[in-house]
Amino acid sequence: MSAESLTAEPATTRFSSWRLLASNPVTVASIVVLGLIIAGALLAPWLAPYGANEINVANQLQPPSVEHWFGTDDLGRDIFSRVILAAGTSLTIAFAAVGFALLVGGGIGIVSGYFGGPTDAVLMRVVDIMFAFPVLLLALAIVAIFQPGIPTTIIAIGVVYTPIFARVARGSALSVRTSPFVQVSQTMGTPAVSILGRHVLPNISGPLIVQTSLSLAFAILSEAALSFLGLGVQPPDPSWGGMIFTAQGFLGLAWWMAIFPGAAIFVTALAFNLVGDGLRDVLDPRQRTIIEARRTA
Amino acid sequence: MKRTAIAGIAGLAAALLLSGCGASGTPSAQADPNATLVAAIGGEPDKLDPQSTTSYFAFEVLENVFDTLVEPDQNLDMQPALAESWTVSDDQLTWTFTLRQGVKFQDGSDFTSADVVYSYRRIIDEKLANAWRLSAITDISAPDASTVVITVGQPTPNLLSSLGGFKGMAIVSKANVDSKKINTAPVGTGPFSVAEYVSGDHITLDANPSYWGGAPKVAKVEFRFISESATALAALRSGDVQWTDVVPTQQVSTLQSDSSVTLGLAPSNDYWYLALNEARKPWSDVRVRQAIAYAIDRDAIVQAVSYGTAVKNQLAIPKTSKWYTEYAPFSTDLEKAKALMAEAGYTGGKLDLLATKDYPQTVTAAEIIAANLKPLGIEVSIRKPDFSTWLDDEGKGNFDMFMLGWLGNIDPDDFYYAQHHSKGVNNFQKFSNAEVDTLLDAGRVETDPAKRKDLYAQAAKIIADEVSYAYLYNPAVIQVWSPSLQDYTTRSDRAIRFRTAYLTK
Repeated sequence: MSAESLTAEPATTRFSSWRLLASNPVTVASIVVLGLIIAGALLAPWLAPYGANEINVANQLQPPSVEHWFGTDDLGRDIFSRVILAAGTSLTIAFAAVGFALLVGGGIGIVSGYFGGPTDAVLMRVVDIMFAFPVLLLALAIVAIFQPGIPTTIIAIGVVYTPIFARVARGSALSVRTSPFVQVSQTMGTPAVSILGRHVLPNISGPLIVQTSLSLAFAILSEAALSFLGLGVQPPDPSWGGMIFTAQGFLGLAWWMAIFPGAAIFVTALAFNLVGDGLRDVLDPRQRTIIEARRTA
Repeated sequence: MKRTAIAGIAGLAAALLLSGCGASGTPSAQADPNATLVAAIGGEPDKLDPQSTTSYFAFEVLENVFDTLVEPDQNLDMQPALAESWTVSDDQLTWTFTLRQGVKFQDGSDFTSADVVYSYRRIIDEKLANAWRLSAITDISAPDASTVVITVGQPTPNLLSSLGGFKGMAIVSKANVDSKKINTAPVGTGPFSVAEYVSGDHITLDANPSYWGGAPKVAKVEFRFISESATALAALRSGDVQWTDVVPTQQVSTLQSDSSVTLGLAPSNDYWYLALNEARKPWSDVRVRQAIAYAIDRDAIVQAVSYGTAVKNQLAIPKTSKWYTEYAPFSTDLEKAKALMAEAGYTGGKLDLLATKDYPQTVTAAEIIAANLKPLGIEVSIRKPDFSTWLDDEGKGNFDMFMLGWLGNIDPDDFYYAQHHSKGVNNFQKFSNAEVDTLLDAGRVETDPAKRKDLYAQAAKIIADEVSYAYLYNPAVIQVWSPSLQDYTTRSDRAIRFRTAYLTK
């Protein structure tokens, strides 16, 4: 690796990354959809025509209409309002949980990968143990120990995704550790913390960003699953998973009770996933080479 | 008197059939004596020993396998069964039962008075689930093979409904119990005998041709375990199944207009209610409890949980019962609720509402209650653990409010004593009122039915006024069957009796 590439590469990478990203129509569409979902979630309290718990039993099980775009549920609540109000909860849980996993898992991974040796061995065995549990089982166990609710859900999903971030960060940190610029810093006596922050972290951020986006999709699904099982968001507060659970008993009578929250989960998870794929295409050096080759061809 | 999980084969109330019920079809239809009647029930029994199980799924099956000394008729009045007749001494303390002659257990052995003594002693001595029903009994003896004498410590006007209202008091065979096979291959005196038990799938019963009440008109009854209502209804429509009670309330209106099935609806003796923890502040203040009783929208709750099939009731005993008292002190009145709160000096706060996901109606109602109490400044947080956790929390008093139901009560003592007497075993809400205690104690020994009814009416009114329970509604029994199934009726005590039913060819 030449000296020029050490300084010049990061800048060009970012610039062309954005350009590459913008040139992929699927990614752009996903980003737009995601933006709309996030905006909708933020503005939900103002956008929702009815309250989430505005009960009107006389108006129960109404099909979609002008007054109720997505129809009403078994308690006569407006499903459109509940779906967009639940978006905020779902996204908050997903971001908080993945944020937790990124900080804790990323931290463990960087330390483990950079220092190596016994630290690495111990931390990675712990991560391996966590990996051994099926995702939902581990989350269920955590929720069972604490009271069900939003904070517990965040912790449960966060803990479940921590090992993935630890693995990704460690793998990248291992390769960066032997880079000339890190070794130069080490010989100059730069403290480990500075090296980690200034050299290692920026150079492994690509895989972590990709993993974050992909994990958000799974976090949305996990939250829906936990709420479906009655362990996530507690009634009467709306959640997509919880709404689908209630809809089960009404499948033949009121299809709209299941379809709309189901579609919300589907679209949100898919958008995060496609954005993640798009990011990986431009941030992963191997994928990137393929794309660039395709573009020049 | 059973918890909802617990079975409720017992009951009374005239079986007024609300709609589409009863045997329809042409009377000339030919019965098929070789037919197998397939019935879909919602789950598998935990065990088949009628005296120790508490599962309704078990009682659905065992209703057809076992007999009791007396049994409730369609109007839930007690009629002779294994006992042909009985007399009560003048002091009301000695009951003499004369047993039916020539009755045999399904294994061929004779049924005698020794079996009755054994069965009751087993319930009492082993402290089985229903021992409390026999708590008044001081002695049981068998002077000869066809006579049983029961001595009670005090006049016990409800002894017959205690002995016969519920299949948990079934007469079992000592040999069957001793062989330890009663949980999988029970032997009774009833119209059908257990022929095959495939765990996780079905139980098959064979007709008992020598049944004392006359041989059944189908060769076999198969109880299939189907927990999903969609699956059960699809099986019914396709003809795989001829009867099911796995029917959610929201399906009733669709089924009513479906000519390919017969819908059986009967008002039940069950009731659903709310209880506030009176060991905790501010619920110990009767005014706060009344405020909540005024804030609740009962119409909305009944509609949301029952789709019009249940009947609103502010006392426990349903309209169809001869013990019914009309009383409705509360209406939905937010102003009154706020005034009562102000009077009590309570400005609002948090309320921990214990529901259970195993009874989804509690969660549905809880959501409505949460919305109802919000204007009072009461923030309701709903918990919905599984039922075993629920029972645990209830027993420990770990709740501000809970919602549940009682199934299968017959006598007014069943409805009120254990729940509201300050020494009642199920008084988890810690209600205590000296006048109610006196009235309930008096009701237990009063032999004049009119006076007795009055005692319970007085007690019930105080219970409602003081909001020991906030009573909500009496649900309906909902069953559907194929039009080819004849001579079957939905009973208000939820007893599933196939002894006279037949299938047309």
